[in-house]
Amino acid sequence: MRLWRLVVRRLALSLVALAGLSVVIFAATEVLPGDAVTAVVGPDATVEQRDRARLELGLDRPVLDRYFDWAGAAVLGDLGTAYVGGRPVGDVIADRLPNSVLLGALALALAIPAGVVVGVLAGARPGKRLDRFLSTGSLLAIGIPEFVTAGLLLAILAIGLDLVPPVSLVPLGGGPLDAPTIVVLPVLSLAILPAAAAARLIRASVADTMSSPYVETARLNGIRHSQLLRRHVLPNSLGPAIQVLGLAVGAIIGGAIVVEALFSYPGIGAELSSAVGTRDLPLVQGIALVLAAITLLSLLLTDIAGRLLDPRLRT
Amino acid sequence: MTAADTTSTREAKVDDLLLTVVSRHRAPVLLVITALVGVVVVVVALAGPFITLADPTRTVGKPFSSEIGWLGTDGIGRDVWSRVLHGGRSIVLVAMTATLAATTLGTLLGVGVGLARRRVAAVVTWCTDLLVVFPAVLLLLLLAAGFPGSDLAVVLAVTLTTLPYSVRVVGSVTRQVASNGYVEVARARGDGLGRVIRFDVLPNVAGPVLADAGIRFVAAIYLAALAGFLGLGTGAPAANWGRMIAENVPGASTNAAAFVAPLVLVLALSTSVNLLADELSARVADR
Repeated sequence: MRLWRLVVRRLALSLVALAGLSVVIFAATEVLPGDAVTAVVGPDATVEQRDRARLELGLDRPVLDRYFDWAGAAVLGDLGTAYVGGRPVGDVIADRLPNSVLLGALALALAIPAGVVVGVLAGARPGKRLDRFLSTGSLLAIGIPEFVTAGLLLAILAIGLDLVPPVSLVPLGGGPLDAPTIVVLPVLSLAILPAAAAARLIRASVADTMSSPYVETARLNGIRHSQLLRRHVLPNSLGPAIQVLGLAVGAIIGGAIVVEALFSYPGIGAELSSAVGTRDLPLVQGIALVLAAITLLSLLLTDIAGRLLDPRLRT
Repeated sequence: MTAADTTSTREAKVDDLLLTVVSRHRAPVLLVITALVGVVVVVVALAGPFITLADPTRTVGKPFSSEIGWLGTDGIGRDVWSRVLHGGRSIVLVAMTATLAATTLGTLLGVGVGLARRRVAAVVTWCTDLLVVFPAVLLLLLLAAGFPGSDLAVVLAVTLTTLPYSVRVVGSVTRQVASNGYVEVARARGDGLGRVIRFDVLPNVAGPVLADAGIRFVAAIYLAALAGFLGLGTGAPAANWGRMIAENVPGASTNAAAFVAPLVLVLALSTSVNLLADELSARVADR
């Protein structure tokens, strides 16, 4: 079973990568432990209070010891306790993650079909006017930061036309879907970048297939353009393009941090930026680790899916 | 070959490069407009603080009023016009510094990776790929969280997030150059590694490095503006286009200009830089 060996190998590599990233996360957040103490006791604390807090938090111990304690507990599912509010980090994440997953899933569901349609339309006749228009458009869209897209959408849809609320306030005791209009702006702002990225990748793949000898042969045989696309081009260009999914998940995770903060959407990204603001290190580390794991998992899955869809790599 | 000869061939090369950059083979109108917009925005960003004498942090009137000054006031009554003129400099400077650092380091590491033995190269590539996997925003947040309020931390963060891509690109181009034969010939006739890099590798990877620097600059502008938006780097009350967007969202219905002006500037900056970098890499690829 070659597939199983592949899956196991990739899974092992992903775990090694996750361990590597956990070092990056820990190192990046632990360089200045002095400020973590301030986050707990406040800026006006006396020297004794600060020293006591440092001892209680275990910040007087060597960095390596603290890393292995943190990573060891994380392996067992314990991400520590948030400084602010004193809740277990795992609980905070379990609270907020579903909201973000909903946002990301909706954005993906919008971005991927849109990207495929635009990419195929552009790549079907490379160099023609429609291709130039769509390619320039997707290039433009790729270069615009999410918070600018989000700001533009906010200005037009929420303030100009008053169609949706400008702030994503979740009704008390309910979820985001109890007030569906609040997800419109975050989802749209999140979807544009991955849609444009997907469109460019698929356009390249389709245009590449269009210039291959067997497509030329089919064309010379007199096959209709639409049938050529459906029967010969798409099956051979969408397989390689499966990696857009992994790419899109990465873009959406990065974007969610920004977009959720802008719209005050109660997701894990907004939680992360506020935790960075209050220097709540366990919360920052925990969320970063979970996001890294999700990114790696999505890459792993798209990698395996790509192998499954590519007939040359099947056995 | 005399010194004069080398100078003239070098000049001819520069002329050649300029010619390919200036001459057109696609719709020139869009490119000219883009270049103009880009230059104007960068000049406004860099020279803005000299254009106005007004203090961007002083309260001059009621909050979110559209009656005071050219662009009204922001949430605590500061003049938006002078904040706009002051708010671009750190974004452009951070992006430029980070691009310079990432390109220099990336070229050094990339050439090293490209010439190194396969196993060493594989390890370095795996490490850089690891950072590529990580969402750039997350890395930016983490690194900047370690040093709150410092623009230098943002430069460092932006450099580190863009560096892996540079190493990857330069590494693969160097590997191509190294397999071309003349590097082996140079090594065989006894040229030292430094000489080979200086005379055989660097001149041949210069084009792709330049194109890559353009793409790095696009990413750096994006991340620098984003850092401002997220409140990283030199903090309030200093003006920053990215942060002004976040600050002025609540007043967007009473004084839209306070929110729209920085939004349009970031949009113009990132879009023009993006199109120009794309054009640059298309030209380098054509050569």
